[in-house]
Amino acid sequence: MLNVHGDFPEYAVPGAKQHRFEPYADNGGSIVAIAGEDYAVIGADTRLSTGFSIYTREQKKLFQLSARTVLGATGCWCDTLTLTRLLRARLQMYEQEHNKPMGTPAVAQMLSTMLYYKRFFPYYVSNVLAGLDADGRGCVYSYDPIGHCERSTYRAGGSAGAQLQPLLDNQIGLKNMQNVTEAPLPREKALALIKDVFISAAERDIYTGDSIYILIITADGIQEEKFDLRKD
Amino acid sequence: MFLTRSEYDRGVNTFSPEGRLFQVEYAIEAIKLGSTAIGICTSEGVVLAVEKRITSPLMESTTIEKIVENHWFVYNERMSVESCAQAVSNLAIQFGDSDDDSGTAMSRPFGVAVMFAGIDEKGPQLFHMDPSGTFVQYDAKAIGSGSEGAQQSLKEVYHKSMTLKEAIKSALTILKQVMEEKLSENNVEMIAAIPELQWSESSSRNTLQDFSKLKLGRQTSVN
Repeated sequence: MLNVHGDFPEYAVPGAKQHRFEPYADNGGSIVAIAGEDYAVIGADTRLSTGFSIYTREQKKLFQLSARTVLGATGCWCDTLTLTRLLRARLQMYEQEHNKPMGTPAVAQMLSTMLYYKRFFPYYVSNVLAGLDADGRGCVYSYDPIGHCERSTYRAGGSAGAQLQPLLDNQIGLKNMQNVTEAPLPREKALALIKDVFISAAERDIYTGDSIYILIITADGIQEEKFDLRKD
Repeated sequence: MFLTRSEYDRGVNTFSPEGRLFQVEYAIEAIKLGSTAIGICTSEGVVLAVEKRITSPLMESTTIEKIVENHWFVYNERMSVESCAQAVSNLAIQFGDSDDDSGTAMSRPFGVAVMFAGIDEKGPQLFHMDPSGTFVQYDAKAIGSGSEGAQQSLKEVYHKSMTLKEAIKSALTILKQVMEEKLSENNVEMIAAIPELQWSESSSRNTLQDFSKLKLGRQTSVN
């Protein structure tokens, strides 16, 4: 078949090879974080994949930044690694410059400026930050790839973020419900909810599955938990 | 004096054989040409009093605010007093030849001594920094032309349980003693950092409340 110019066929011919700059990969993965009165829970699945193939079923995507702050990061895995390494370095520099560990709101703001610093070649990462603020209350911060930051009480992110968020909106935000009264969310309920929404996500999203790794942040320390998901 | 020193006092990159940097020592001398400033730290707050020689409404606030603004921009929190002193110290010791990567450097030290008064999670604090960039925390400190006499007076009058009111009165009394001109409402400036006022408003401009708004002005006026 010849194109309108009549000279060249429309399919690739030997000797005319195109090379494009493709710096990003999508390695999938989802995160859910919920903040309570005196705790924050954050969970991420452990599947690392590209397209239909799975690199590993046990990749942790939660990064413990301090005794009261945890970051969940998914997307382009190499960007995740670079960003978290840089974050850890900045956290250490802060601690040595100011003689105190960085608080969660400070980490949140710094992450925002770090992401915006790469405004024109962004880190392809979906970030959700969870921890305790200066008053010991749970807090969750979510980001877009270029640093827009928002504090909320619950957030889903990553490849199944769009599937998970509406379920959280209904169950925690009590959206589209009648005759309901707002009450503080107990830690056990938050934990059960995270497991439930991930089970749903694993049914629909091929980039989410295998298992979830959960961290529970309280003033007493950080507790970890694992929960299996379907592996297909 | 100049004969012995002249070989080693032309640059900040060469130690004298006795191990001294004369330019830094000269800079420390230079601060004694400036007007007197007194700082007193109490558990109720910190007070700074300075003799004002020349003023202009056109004067601009500069570097310190930039450092603090940058800290707010990056971390969305208030910078601690010590961190602020540390940051200014880092700036002050950048004299000397420029490294290739750090751009243009300063040819000589700042001929300036600085007092940092403020309140953070550790409470009211007072820091003093000299041209060498050394910063030390003080309960009470005097700098400038009348500093020697003022420091001596501070030593006599200061005690740990001093109230802010006492501190303000002492600062003014001592300033009056060491000033050459007669103390008046036009040639002293005073500011106090007080814990309750700091967190009352979100704006950082309210951190240091103008002394005139404290309603202490009349009671502490010196005859």
